Amino acid sequence: MKIYRLFAVVERIFRYLKNDKRTLVEIFVAPIFIMLIFGAAFSTEVHDVSVVIVNNDQGLSVPSGDMPSKLSDKIISNLNTSVMKVEYANNVSQAVNMVENGKAYGVIIFPTNFTSDFYSKLQNHSNSDNTTVALRLDKSNSNVAEAISKTVNAAVFKTVTDIGSEMPISVNAGDAIYAQNARFIDFFVPGVTTFSVYQLTTLLTLIAFVGERTSGTLYRLMASPLKETEIVAGYTLAFSILGMGQAALLLIVGITVFNITVVGSIILAFAVVTLLAIVSVSLGVLLSSVARREIQALQLIPFVVLPALLLSGIFMPTEAIPSWMRPAAYLFPTTYTAEAVRSVLLKGWGLDKILIDVGALFAFIAIFLVLAMLTLKGRE
Amino acid sequence: MTYYIETTFLTKKFGDLTAVDKLNLKIRAGEIYGLLGPNGAGKTTTVKMLCGLIRPTSGGANVLEHKIDKSITPFIGYMPQETALYLDLTVRENLTFFGKIFGLRKDKIQERERELLKFIHLEKFADTLVNNLSGGMKHRVSLACALLHEPKLLFLDEPTVGIDPELRVSFWNYFIELKESGISMLITTHYMDEAGRCDRIGFMRGGRLIAEGVPSELLQSTNTESLEDAFLEFAKGISAT
Repeated sequence: MKIYRLFAVVERIFRYLKNDKRTLVEIFVAPIFIMLIFGAAFSTEVHDVSVVIVNNDQGLSVPSGDMPSKLSDKIISNLNTSVMKVEYANNVSQAVNMVENGKAYGVIIFPTNFTSDFYSKLQNHSNSDNTTVALRLDKSNSNVAEAISKTVNAAVFKTVTDIGSEMPISVNAGDAIYAQNARFIDFFVPGVTTFSVYQLTTLLTLIAFVGERTSGTLYRLMASPLKETEIVAGYTLAFSILGMGQAALLLIVGITVFNITVVGSIILAFAVVTLLAIVSVSLGVLLSSVARREIQALQLIPFVVLPALLLSGIFMPTEAIPSWMRPAAYLFPTTYTAEAVRSVLLKGWGLDKILIDVGALFAFIAIFLVLAMLTLKGRE
Repeated sequence: MTYYIETTFLTKKFGDLTAVDKLNLKIRAGEIYGLLGPNGAGKTTTVKMLCGLIRPTSGGANVLEHKIDKSITPFIGYMPQETALYLDLTVRENLTFFGKIFGLRKDKIQERERELLKFIHLEKFADTLVNNLSGGMKHRVSLACALLHEPKLLFLDEPTVGIDPELRVSFWNYFIELKESGISMLITTHYMDEAGRCDRIGFMRGGRLIAEGVPSELLQSTNTESLEDAFLEFAKGISAT
């Protein structure tokens, strides 16, 4: 391996980028765009869901002590108003009608003797169905329906707990082991950084290398003193530098714009993403032997990019994947990267605790590089 | 006599297809040798094997009196059939890159760039992106890239395909000029009329060499007036046996 030939390849790629501004934009603007779009718009929480309440609860005229006279109102006041937009109806059919006309997603019904039955249940331990809050939901949007159930449950739970010591069991999730104040964006930024670097680096290398094959320049290179190892090493170096630039930019945007939680070493997180960039370059070179034309490179996206997006814990944890499918997640380098970067940033883990992920990334590099080299050497 | 290219029963099969069939070729130092034949005769496959791009199925070949490996690459130049240039790089950037991978020093590269840009008459386009050049200009740049490191032996694979007659004539003038400067050449073409300017030519058909010789002798022996007719005569002879 001659270092001047390797650098000639690197310089060639950078000159190409200098002359092709569109690709430069794709490398540095696209990932920020992805992060801003997802960061701002994508969230598992729903807001401002219209709900109709039918409150038939008559209340109880003589409540004991500081007990509320109308329990239903207390529950309604405890509903999370950022999730729900509450409207009222006089009867159930009117409320259901509103759902049917698309004006609301659900109906919350309090029965007539709700408060009184509740108090008698407390005192006599009698069983009465009249303490049931009925929910009639439009479940065609399961996310929204679940959010309504959860919000009502939370309001009921809070109301009952507030009333006093009658709740025999309590749950306290206020004391976190890791990431006390984490939001979805804190989970998301490491994921989207991983995904952007993987996707853009793989595709860019793939398209550039398919170009070498189709234009005939690869033949010229092969008829020159340039060795296969130098070509692959040159590509790896050049595109890894670009991948590092991307990773740095995404982490900076995550930290400054979204103010994500960082308790661990940013440098370590950055190093892990850099490893992924190297994996992606070698994958791109390898895939270029499958794709003979540029269009065929794009045809690989459903097999290479989309599964990584859905399986690697970018948007949702890998635990959300059905168990029979979960092993497939570990075929993608992005799974290890997202996990490691998250652990480093949010939990403050050091290298010693992400050794398995880092080892997996090195294994990917070794396998892909060797295979990529073979596709170049193993010519007919 | 020094042979710059010498093949012995050189054969290349792609599955059931025999692209090159027991080819015995001897090309002398200092000559322009034209490999002629219709599309699919095995000309390009032969050149690719001689440049080390693909491996022969059987048989062997020596290039510059050496077996074919990376060690011969500094002394051979290869102009592929495709334009084979980086379209998003300028003419000069392309030349510089190919100079660098051949290990040329910076001042040497600059000197060669000046010479070659003059040779192909593209001095004014040195800093133009290759993508913005006409097809004929791209061909000239492609030739220059193959010449930058001053090879002793040049492989030109269909160098005149798809370019206008005027430029084709000037290309052959380049080749004669290069020969006079001491470069040997193997040129493949299916334009038979232009091959009369070669020192010797070989007719290829179905992966085999069916005739070989000085153009005027080939015309004489077949009693024909054009190389095209001569080729058809030889092809007929092969089909009959």
